Amino acid sequence: MACIGVFVCHCGLNIAGTVDVERVVEALQAYPGVVFAADYKYMCSDPGQELIQRTIEAHALDGVVVAACSPAMHETTFRKAAAAAGLNPYQVEIANIREQVSWPHQNVPEEATRKAIETIQSIVEKVRYDEPLSPLSLPIVKRALVVGGGIAGLTAALSIAEAGYPVVLVERAEHLGGRVDQLSDLYLNFDGDRAFLQERIDVVTEHPLIDLLTQAEVTGLEGYVGNFTADVTRRVAGEGDGEQSTRYDVGAIVLATGFELYAKVNLPEYGGGRLPDVVDSLQFEEMVRRGEIVRPSDGRAPREVVWVQCAGSRDPERHRSYCSKICCMYVAKQAIAYREMVPEGQAYVFYIDIRSQGRGYDEFVQQAMEEFGVVYLRGKVSKIIGQDGRLEVWGSDTLSGRAMRMGADLVVLAMAATPSAGSDDLSRLMHAAVDESGFFAEAHPKLRPVESPTAGVYLAGAAQFPKDIPETVAQASGATAKVLQLFAQEEMAAAPTVAVVDEKLCSGCGRCVEVCPYDARELHPWRALATVNAALCQSCGACAVACPNKATRMRNMSPGQILAMVEALSW
Amino acid sequence: MGQGFTSRVLIIGAGIAGMQAALDVANAGYDVVLVERAPSIGGRMAQLSETFPTLDCAQCILTPRTVEVGHHERIALYTYAEVIGVEGEIGDFQVRIRRHATYVDWDACTGCGLCQEKCPTRVSAEFERDVGERKAIYTLSPQAVPNKPVIDREHCIFFQRGKCKACERFCPVGAIDYEQEDSIIEEQVGAVIVATGYDLYPLTRMPEYGGGKTPDVIDALAFERLLSASGPTAGKVLRPSDGRAPREIVFIQCAGSRDPEKHMPHCSKICCMYTAKQAMLYRHRVHDGQAYIFYIDIRAAGKRYDEFTQHAMEDERVVYLRGKVSRVFRQDDKVMVWGADTLSGQKVEIAADMVVVAPAVIPRPQTTILAGMLGLPLDPQGWLLPRDTNMRPVETVRPGIFVAGTGVGPMDIPETVAHASGAASHVLKLFSHSCSEREEEWQLVKERV
Repeated sequence: MACIGVFVCHCGLNIAGTVDVERVVEALQAYPGVVFAADYKYMCSDPGQELIQRTIEAHALDGVVVAACSPAMHETTFRKAAAAAGLNPYQVEIANIREQVSWPHQNVPEEATRKAIETIQSIVEKVRYDEPLSPLSLPIVKRALVVGGGIAGLTAALSIAEAGYPVVLVERAEHLGGRVDQLSDLYLNFDGDRAFLQERIDVVTEHPLIDLLTQAEVTGLEGYVGNFTADVTRRVAGEGDGEQSTRYDVGAIVLATGFELYAKVNLPEYGGGRLPDVVDSLQFEEMVRRGEIVRPSDGRAPREVVWVQCAGSRDPERHRSYCSKICCMYVAKQAIAYREMVPEGQAYVFYIDIRSQGRGYDEFVQQAMEEFGVVYLRGKVSKIIGQDGRLEVWGSDTLSGRAMRMGADLVVLAMAATPSAGSDDLSRLMHAAVDESGFFAEAHPKLRPVESPTAGVYLAGAAQFPKDIPETVAQASGATAKVLQLFAQEEMAAAPTVAVVDEKLCSGCGRCVEVCPYDARELHPWRALATVNAALCQSCGACAVACPNKATRMRNMSPGQILAMVEALSW
Repeated sequence: MGQGFTSRVLIIGAGIAGMQAALDVANAGYDVVLVERAPSIGGRMAQLSETFPTLDCAQCILTPRTVEVGHHERIALYTYAEVIGVEGEIGDFQVRIRRHATYVDWDACTGCGLCQEKCPTRVSAEFERDVGERKAIYTLSPQAVPNKPVIDREHCIFFQRGKCKACERFCPVGAIDYEQEDSIIEEQVGAVIVATGYDLYPLTRMPEYGGGKTPDVIDALAFERLLSASGPTAGKVLRPSDGRAPREIVFIQCAGSRDPEKHMPHCSKICCMYTAKQAMLYRHRVHDGQAYIFYIDIRAAGKRYDEFTQHAMEDERVVYLRGKVSRVFRQDDKVMVWGADTLSGQKVEIAADMVVVAPAVIPRPQTTILAGMLGLPLDPQGWLLPRDTNMRPVETVRPGIFVAGTGVGPMDIPETVAHASGAASHVLKLFSHSCSEREEEWQLVKERV
């Protein structure tokens, strides 16, 4: 005989403002198998959790339904609370009456109340047949793979190694250092202490726990959090210029693949790729770094330089819809550097908005304008043409409302920052999703910014979205914290609510193997039987649906349970 | 005194930064002492309505974190408490914490809320940014962690006049204790994370925007409370003076920011995005309402941020006016806004029903005190300085002391969370060294000091 408790949350007015919670409680109190039903303002608060715990003990409950928000929010909270009171956590289920009832049906409270009641009754049916389960425990390989040897990857690799864990650091290029290595000076206070980067490279190169692989790429990946196997392919110079592939077992992966600039040729209206004196911002960095600002066409020092910001950014129709975030600040830096190196020169900057956000940033741009006489023009540039060995920039000044044409010796395009080439392939390999712009997606835009949605894969730096150096370094350290947390566990707990196979019914037809999107199903090597890799299974249920013999079923989501849940709904 | 290297961290401040750092360290198996000045944790994020650019309800995504922190066996949580002394060096800090008297025995209290219901005194609530009320015995919100009340002595009738004791009479478990005194707790830790967060530049220092004396001119956090489903108006936008829904609303960005002559020189970074969000949410609440935003530059630099402000302009028909507001004053039942549109070069006058000011984000005064106590340098505005802006953004000049979140300057939530995890990783690195190695390193530091 079932002894089920039902706990209905008001979520302030989020639920109770629409759903008549008292009626819901009354209806559930009368439902077969329910021995206790009550409502409370915030079930997730301490008194709410204590109410659940006291009731479990007092009524010896063998099942709990919490009718509240989405299970993505507080399923863990309530399962933990119930476990502390002695109930198996897998006999606790959430009935989502907020996202699926009160929010979408705000204007029809009567129907919403009825839907809430039926939703809960349906979940009561599920709980009635829930079995007590124990979490699976999986071993963890305590070695990390870091992809990318720029400042993000260097920081992550070094921090993980310094915490005592081995790291495989894979860099596509010949040298470490990434984009930062291409920069003239770090901006703000011109703290161009390049020694910092070199110092970090040296420490990484010499660290006994870091396996450094340059001119190498990840070409294969199998497994799951705690137990990945990665193939790393290296180009080897010398005889035959061959390739050499090595397998590494790793438990965690940090993606630190950085960004690149949108190619100039995409902007023919600016003469991109055609006019030699139209350069991109990394080319200009290179000039500053060499200490010689000259026109590529004739090697002369430019007297008038025009910077064009948002080149390819903030242009959803033709190019990239997003703001590239870093350009406003480096353009101010480049203009200052130019004015210092060519004192008689004049610097102009075309911008849409000046985005100098953060401590000291706005002040820095002010300094560029006031102390270095950089002229900021608010407006877009429509085209750039070559004329008599010089350039002519056609644009508009949106402040004066005038169209303008100005001569220039050199134009610097602050090109949109885009994901590194190969991010797509890597995304497929890692099962790590990318967003609509091709940058790696984070698990939650607010609260899980350094994790990918795939367990065990973490994000550092501009691979996730353009970032300046301080933010990149902080985020890379943040990704490290996640790796260290994982490695601190002796073994990893995984949800037991996965697919299982009834060997008596399975004919080994392999349909489950075909439909599984997570590579969690395979055929037994010699028996006519399909198996489940419980660590890879994400409980999607596709195999249970595909199985013609009903041999595969999902733990705590059996056909009997589903039918009982459906029966509980009115038709 | 020092016994050796202690693998336990003190985290000062339990907003989203402090909580994230605490969870990262605790989930890696080390003990955390988490100190929060307010009666409960959650910080600024607990005051927010919905978050940009996804419009997730802040409270909904925050409570799983507050609950986890509140129940974590490795986190010793001291709320309504302040750090009053830190001595020692990396690996061996002695910390003194003052726990303010709550006048409620929290061990006995069940959080039933009856005392708050029966308390006869209503006062303006700081947590509600004065657009809502609380009792003299109160919690910050019904989902507070811990969900235990404190008595505000200044407004309590018993403390002021010697009688009342309604809370004591009605408390079913006898938890009220008027005799309670502040207590001092001593803890030993090996590392410190400063996560003290930010404040808003007060309206009273901006006479040009009514100086805080015009009732329908409120600051952005007060507006967040009005928008919040768990706020004083249950999410309805009603203006403070007469409780009517404003038909025309003006948002003023950069209030006190980017103004080195009169106010603060820096850009506060987060206002452009939350103002766009607030204007959007206002339009969701008041369908025929009109929203205007005065801005200097629209700084929407982040994933899906620019797209979000575009959406506010194009689909929600929020009117963006590029220019500064020179004066805001009350006229009859309107709030007059005088400004300039620098794009058309024309003067703009709007007779608004309500004005929301986005004040500069500034450091908390407590950060200054703590910096003095910990020997950490501050910039002229009072922000904590990291050891190196570019390469060491979460470290400080003092080994073993780290910074997390907006104590070092304005940041939005994801940047704060990543920064806090960054600080946690340095602590984990420090603690995870093998014992002998750690001992050696610690001895070296001792010798240097």
